[in-house]
Parts: sequence; C-alpha cells; structure tokens
Amino acid sequence: MTSQPILRLRINGQPVETPAPPERILLDLLREDLRLTGTKRGCDLGTCGCCTVLLDGRPTLSCLTLAHLAEGREITTIEGVSTGTALHPVQRAFVDLGATQCGFCTPGFVLTAVALLRERPRPTRDQVVEAIAGNLCRCTGYTKIIEAIEAAARAAPG
Amino acid sequence: MHLEPFELHRPTSVEEAAGLARTHAGRCDFLAGGTDLLPNYKMHINLRPHLISLDRVGEMTHREGGRVGAMTRLAELERDAAFARDYPGVAEAARQVATPLVRASATVGGNLLVETRCFFFNQSQFWRASLGFCLKADGDRCHVVPQKAVCYATFSGDLAPALMVVGAEVEVAGPDGRRRFPVGALYDAAGDGIRRVTLAPGEVVVAVHLPAEARGRPSGYAKLRARPSFDFPELGVAVALSRDGDRLAALRVATGGLEPHPREFDAITARYVGEPLSPERLDALAAEVQAAVRPVHNTAYPPDYRKRMTGVFVRRTVERLWSGGTAA
Repeated sequence: MTSQPILRLRINGQPVETPAPPERILLDLLREDLRLTGTKRGCDLGTCGCCTVLLDGRPTLSCLTLAHLAEGREITTIEGVSTGTALHPVQRAFVDLGATQCGFCTPGFVLTAVALLRERPRPTRDQVVEAIAGNLCRCTGYTKIIEAIEAAARAAPG
Repeated sequence: MHLEPFELHRPTSVEEAAGLARTHAGRCDFLAGGTDLLPNYKMHINLRPHLISLDRVGEMTHREGGRVGAMTRLAELERDAAFARDYPGVAEAARQVATPLVRASATVGGNLLVETRCFFFNQSQFWRASLGFCLKADGDRCHVVPQKAVCYATFSGDLAPALMVVGAEVEVAGPDGRRRFPVGALYDAAGDGIRRVTLAPGEVVVAVHLPAEARGRPSGYAKLRARPSFDFPELGVAVALSRDGDRLAALRVATGGLEPHPREFDAITARYVGEPLSPERLDALAAEVQAAVRPVHNTAYPPDYRKRMTGVFVRRTVERLWSGGTAA
C-alpha cells in the first residue's frame, strides 16, 4: 500500500493531522477516521443536509466535499458547538421545545441554525424557513424546529 | 459511499488548469463546487482517473463589474443586492438552484456545465446494470428513444437561460488562448447529446461577462419543479424585455429543463418587438414557444405537461415583467 498524503486540518478549533487519499470525502474522514460521529450520513448525495458542517462558519455538505479541499479552513462539527457541558442556545432551544425526535437530522439543523443566527441574529420566519430548506426531517416535522430556532434568536442577548 | 481513487490536481492558474486538461484529455474532469460531479462519481457514472480542482485558481473566484468568475459560488451571487438590481433574472435563477446548502458550494461555471439529466442515467450502478446501461454511460442504447443513437438527457442548469436573455458571454481559456462568445454558443445543439458543449479538449470556462447595457433591464426566471425547495428544473423560462410606452422595445426568451441544451427563441420574439403587447399577442407568443419545444419522457413530469407549462410560464413571466413586477 502506498503511503497516503498527510492532511492538516483544523477541526473545532484544534489542529488535526491525519493520512487521507485524495478521494477521501470529508464526511467519511470525520466519521470513520476521526470518529466524530455526530456528523450523520443520510442520503450521501447532498439532498438531506444531515452531514452539514461549518466551513469557515458557513453551512456546507460534508458528503460532497473532498477532505483535501478543506485544508486550511476552519471546520466546525456538532461536537464543537457546545461549550464543555453547556449546550449552545440553539441546542438548548431544540431540547426545550421538543424539536427533535429520532435526532438523526438534528446535528445538521443545529449547525445550519447556528450559522444563520450568526449572520442574522433576528431572522424573520421566512428567513428561517429558507435557511433550513436543505435540511430534511422525516419525523418531527418542521414547525417545532422553526420555533426552536426563533426561540434561540429571542434568547440571545442584544 | 466511498469514491474510487483518482489523482487530484490543484492548479493555481487558468493556464495551468487548461494545460492539465490538455495533458489528460478524455481522462479528466474539472471539479468546481462538486455538487453535481461528486454525486455522479458516487453512483459510478463516467468516472475519470484525474480530477482537476479549480478551487485555487484565484482568477476564477474573482468578480468585478460585469465579469463573474466561473468559480463564484451561487450563494455569493444571491447575497449581492446590487447584482440582483442589475441582473434580476440571473439572481432569481441563482436563488432557485437546489438548496442554500448546495448553493454554498455550487458555482456559476458548474451550473453552466452541469451534466444533463435523465431518469435512466441518474441512478446507482446497480440500478443501471439491472436494466442495461444507456449510451450516456457504459452502454450503447437510449432507453428513452431506443430507435436513435442520440442522448436525450435534459439540460438542467438554471443560470444559462437567464444569462442568455441578457446577452451574457462566456470567457474560455484553452491551448489557443482565450475566446469569448455568447452563452448559447457554449451548447452543442446539433450534437449527439453525449458531447454536450462546444468546448475543445483542454478548454476551461473562466468567467461569464454580463453586458453593461443590460444592467437594470427587466428580466426574470420561472422554474417548474416537484419540490420548490430543491429539485432540478422540469422547465425553466427566462425572459428579458424592455418597453417603450405600450410597445415592446426588446424581448428575449430562453428555456431550460426541456431538451438536451438550453434554447433561445429570437426568431419568434423578433416578430413581437416594436408592437403593442395585447393579451392576444401575449397568448400567441406563449403558444409559439410552447409549440417549438420538444421535451421527452425522461424526468419526473410527463413531457406533455412540461410542454403545456412552457406556454403558461412564458405568458406569466412576460406579463410580470411587462407590468413592472419584481422577482418572485
């Protein structure tokens, strides 16, 4: 087996070095090589948004991103959203309002919402709906998810 | 789904990218946003051993005035309020591509060169092997029109029709230097459907040029699809017009999502310019475009429905722009 190139990434604020062939998909690298299994594999084709991570703060489909192309960029996964044991306000709102059922889509929704609220701290309902258009939920439905994102926005200072 | 191994190239200049494409002609793909190519690779569709990523080509991510680098992300275009004022139809088309998550990665050049789509093509290898491969990938017959050795897969980009009606041009770099030509000429309308574009081996789309004289001209894009939050077009209609009192001073109409390439209808629309736009004239225009398009049965909606909706969308979009309506 030929040696694989070493990839230098920055994930959740920490430098990470790991071997990865050029065809390695970021989602596979996170889940299978680094065991960051909070990022979920849903459709694996860019349709469902379960694999959403933040690249330089913007929601990105990790299932359609080559790991090598994420080099030099700040990667945030669901594991990097909370502070210690303190949930992020978006996570807190999802729990408080029951915006999660099986939970499989939740990491993707949370990261999309975190990025939305950073860009628009007081989004309108239409802006929330548009922002989560690429995240699919098959059990809860969207009403509670939208309400949770709006509640997180209201809970934020300012 | 893991990808099959390939060699990844990351050129830093247009000339280097074009040189790599020439060296590996027929055995490479360009990687822009990856939102179309990588799903196809995961389904083992037309794999190539060399992938040339354009993410480090600074010139292609640059946007200045009417020149939009081919690697400009669709999300960047849709966030630009000034761009939406200048070219409302192009912005409206960009906003309707897939989802915000896809548009964060998807690019202008990628949408122009998006692979044509067909119910028998965009399937897993297992699915395609079960039925027998088609001539667009691994096989030798078309399952849609079996009596012909031509691919009828549908052009599924949204930007091209919107760019065509405002007179945009593409800038291409290749072995013989650079050239510019109208967006419509990028597509090989007379070809076999497999070779979809008129680019020579080693040529790369560098940028799109939007003409200054079209700035602020009323333009719009209407898209038919099953899920308004996600799908590729079952039909896309782009219109740009200007009016002089009660008369049409200029009118262009283009379609996508119906045939293997986007289409313009200048021969039809020319007959309506200089005349008042009465309801009867508008109906006649819509009927003429509807009669001209030839969708086949290879997407989710039946071709007869897509054809009839072409007339509806032409009428609606022209009417909206004629009466000064803004983007939907």
